Amino acid sequence: MSQHDCNTCSAHAELARMGVTLDRIDRVVALAGNPNTGKSTLFNALTGLKQHTGNWPGKTVTRAEGAFEFDKVRYKLVDLPGTYSLLSASHDEQIARDFLLFGDPDATIVVIDATAIERNLNLVLQVLEITSRVVVAVNLMDEAKRKHLDVDIRSLSRDLGVPAVGITARTGDGIRSLLEAVAGVSSGELHTVPLRVTGTPAFHRAISELVPLIESVAPGVPNARWIAIRLLDGDAEVEEALTSGRLAGLAADQQESAPRFSAKISLQGTQ
Amino acid sequence: MDRLLTIAIVGVAALVLTLAWAWMGRRRAAQGRRRLEDALKHLFELEYRGRQASLASLTGALGVRDRVALNLVARMQTQGLLIASASEFKLTSEGERLALQVIRAHRLLERYFADEARLPLPQVHAAAERGEHHLSPEAADRLSASLGHPAVDPHGDPIPTREGFVPPAAGTPATAWPLDRLARVIHLEDEPPISYAQLVAEGIVVGQTIRIIDSSPERLVLTDGENEFRLAPAVAANIFLDAAPDTPARVGAVRLAELATGQAAQVLGLDEQCRGYSRRRLMDLGFTEGATIRAALNTFAGDPRAYEIRGTLVALRRDQASQVLVLPLERAS
Amino acid sequence: MPRAEAAAVLRRAAELRATLDSQFRDETVKSIYAEAERIASRASHHVGTVRYDFDQRVDRIVTSPVFGLPLMALLLAVVFWLTVAGANVPSAMLATGFFWVEDQAATLFTNIGAPWWVTGFIWHGVFRGLAWVVSVMLPPMAIFFPLFTMLEDLGYLPRVAFNLDFLFKRAGAHGKQALTMAMGFGCNAAGIISTRVIDSPRERLVAILTNNFVPCNGRFPTLILLATIFVGPLVPSAFESLAAAGAVVGVVIIGVIFTLAVSWGLSRTVLKGEASAFTLELPPYRRPGILRILYTSLIDRTLFVLWRAALTAAPAGAVIWLLGNITVGDLSLARHIANSLNPLGHAIGLDGVILLAYIIAIPANEIVVPTLLMVYMGTGMMDEGSSLEQIRELLVNTHGWTLLTAVNLMLFSLLHNPCATTIITMYKETLSLKWTVVGTLLPLGLAFLVTFLVASIW
Repeated sequence: MSQHDCNTCSAHAELARMGVTLDRIDRVVALAGNPNTGKSTLFNALTGLKQHTGNWPGKTVTRAEGAFEFDKVRYKLVDLPGTYSLLSASHDEQIARDFLLFGDPDATIVVIDATAIERNLNLVLQVLEITSRVVVAVNLMDEAKRKHLDVDIRSLSRDLGVPAVGITARTGDGIRSLLEAVAGVSSGELHTVPLRVTGTPAFHRAISELVPLIESVAPGVPNARWIAIRLLDGDAEVEEALTSGRLAGLAADQQESAPRFSAKISLQGTQ
Repeated sequence: MDRLLTIAIVGVAALVLTLAWAWMGRRRAAQGRRRLEDALKHLFELEYRGRQASLASLTGALGVRDRVALNLVARMQTQGLLIASASEFKLTSEGERLALQVIRAHRLLERYFADEARLPLPQVHAAAERGEHHLSPEAADRLSASLGHPAVDPHGDPIPTREGFVPPAAGTPATAWPLDRLARVIHLEDEPPISYAQLVAEGIVVGQTIRIIDSSPERLVLTDGENEFRLAPAVAANIFLDAAPDTPARVGAVRLAELATGQAAQVLGLDEQCRGYSRRRLMDLGFTEGATIRAALNTFAGDPRAYEIRGTLVALRRDQASQVLVLPLERAS
Repeated sequence: MPRAEAAAVLRRAAELRATLDSQFRDETVKSIYAEAERIASRASHHVGTVRYDFDQRVDRIVTSPVFGLPLMALLLAVVFWLTVAGANVPSAMLATGFFWVEDQAATLFTNIGAPWWVTGFIWHGVFRGLAWVVSVMLPPMAIFFPLFTMLEDLGYLPRVAFNLDFLFKRAGAHGKQALTMAMGFGCNAAGIISTRVIDSPRERLVAILTNNFVPCNGRFPTLILLATIFVGPLVPSAFESLAAAGAVVGVVIIGVIFTLAVSWGLSRTVLKGEASAFTLELPPYRRPGILRILYTSLIDRTLFVLWRAALTAAPAGAVIWLLGNITVGDLSLARHIANSLNPLGHAIGLDGVILLAYIIAIPANEIVVPTLLMVYMGTGMMDEGSSLEQIRELLVNTHGWTLLTAVNLMLFSLLHNPCATTIITMYKETLSLKWTVVGTLLPLGLAFLVTFLVASIW
């Protein structure tokens, strides 16, 4: 994993384009979530004062990033704008989506509200379409308790096919387990089998026809299925990324640094 | 010295005149192109609706004198866009292709102005009319992609594809629709603007289900089950109808805005008028079929209200809440 | 070559799209939520019967049609009162401290033989400008922003937007504009940045252009001073402070009315359009995290605003010093300019000195009053009037101020052009020179118009 001398890697070029510098950093972690889920509380809990805020390049959307260390690995944490979805193409959603797609973070933490799981899963399921290296942080476990809600983290994790960890960001409860999961997912030691939503039969047919076509244009792209969905929906930006070769370049880079895909331990085994 | 000054003045004057002439020429060329495109559009639209174009209809549609229209026809003929015989005008395939390009630009712009810029519906047509001549086919493709490749414009007209495909005309004018047969509004003709404005003011929209309850040479009376619309036949002829889909009627469905505060309901869906960003937003917030919703909080003015859906309180203004169809659940005791 | 292949994929996608239901996106979202429902029903269960106890009860009161608005007004009044009352003492202490430093430094400079104009320029000019801004702005911001962030963290602000939306809807604006206005009370620059919460570009622009009509922290000292000196004495002495406070609240309400009226005007003319989708989430009430509040309010907001104000206040201090100390004939430059501005000033019920003070105060509004006093007294330095009684004496007896002057100055202060920091922020957020110019000149024009009308009718 020689990330430092990899100046030509397009994923890193993409990261630089999005304003992320990789000095003395081993892995990049994105932080996604709905608004009002305590995402920034978690961000502060993880990074402390090692953070700085600014704008996303060319956009008037506030961005924050910070750094933390866990088990001798240095992580950069990029706080994505809080969104309910990745489909609406508002500025916020576009930024979050672009970062997940082109920035290709080593892991993505999706913060969800334990008291409104159903609503929050909308975003989780959409993120799972783009990247499989996801950890779900079920925040506000204390609020859930106050509201007499029993949250079954295991069932959630089993259904989603990615690790889920119950936390209370305000008090720091569960943050260690969260970081262990992030370490596992970002190093590739924890293999994830993300749930993908199946739609109508016609939808399914259309997707399975497009996926091989996309893979031939951008070989090795990890989220051909998601791209196919976006193309069917008529997403101008994804169309652009495909014709300009931005996606293909990204995929070529990923194949070089493939070790993270080596599935050593499957998630089911650890649970 | 004097001669130098004279030369300088003459030189500057000549330059100014040349520039002015070039500018006027460009303007005239642009105006000529605009007229040509409008003429093509007019001819195509009449052909599409199976009506006969004439010099009179052309002068009327473009608002120009006969002489100008004649020149236009001659120009279109020499450019191989039109075959004009004594009795009829017919577009060549090249003429049709150009016409479809303009129409595609126009309808995409209408969609954009209605959904994303949220211009009031009566203003949409005029705004698109101004923009259509400046939108290159490539720009139209990009616009189409950014809108999610819509199939119809806000009036229900099909948007031609990039390849120039447009489905055949559908729908029957309301004046030719049988009494008392349930129909769905599939298209509102936006020309002439006056009658279109009246239809919008009455509250007739594409996607609405209506029935004609009375018809006389002076008046056509339509109803959507709640309101009655009395229209002059000339105006009603601009409403195009199709048989209402025979999906089982949603018995007892009401609009979310009508739900009593405190009452719970099940979401049936968003109505056709809710488009673009606002539709995507509501869907993303979970206003999808089957979700349970409760009118939770009221304000001083009664608008907006907050609704509890999927574990969160979401405030909506009345006009948005009336675009959500719900089935009230029995009041919990 | 790959471009052509990609184009072929896009074409195929377009063909496949035609085979799908036209409501494809709806179907996608629906199936995602269906899946979410399934997973959530397995993963979370209610134990016991208590559901939505506390939050709902609070919400019924906070957003109640009857108590909602009065409660909101009361809460905001308390926040203002705490800010104004709490800031006085630290403000005075900071000022004393800074002036002590200034005195010491100036003496030191004189002792080591520096020319008088170096000492004056650096210490009585630049440093004093900076000191003024810090001592006047820092304490109120350090009180206001944490209080405000606490309301924000609690989840109360969205309820304010919810309660007030009916007004903004009528003005063709977004309900969240109420949130950005609330931020504007602290600082208009911060208020303009906070308009990012509004998705619709049109409504966001309306919010940016009208944010100036909310008097910021920098303008409150002027309003409070004038209300205390001129409005207070109009009533029996027992009610003096109440009347003064009432006058300030009145000015704020006038500001809100102007915000709504200008928003209404903009939505019907240059920024025509319909109200966009208004979806406002009312998050559950949360216990605020004290550390987080202090961090965001002090680091992100207070220091950020203060830093920018300080950058502009230092050169302003220098300019004031220069204008006050360079004499042409037997009058200082400041008096010359003031005299030439007099006709314009009188037309709107003010005078030339006030206008000059406003020109110098473009970088930071809080130096208006000190500049005024400085030019009136001809001391050549910004000065904090020693007591209210003395200031009143100076303004009324020596310079002929009347109640009209005070009223118009309050109106002018409320409406006039935004400060330099706000203008820069406006440009950064809109990236449009045109809208920055509109956002600057519109309030200025309105300020002249309104004060002129008031002066004519008086």
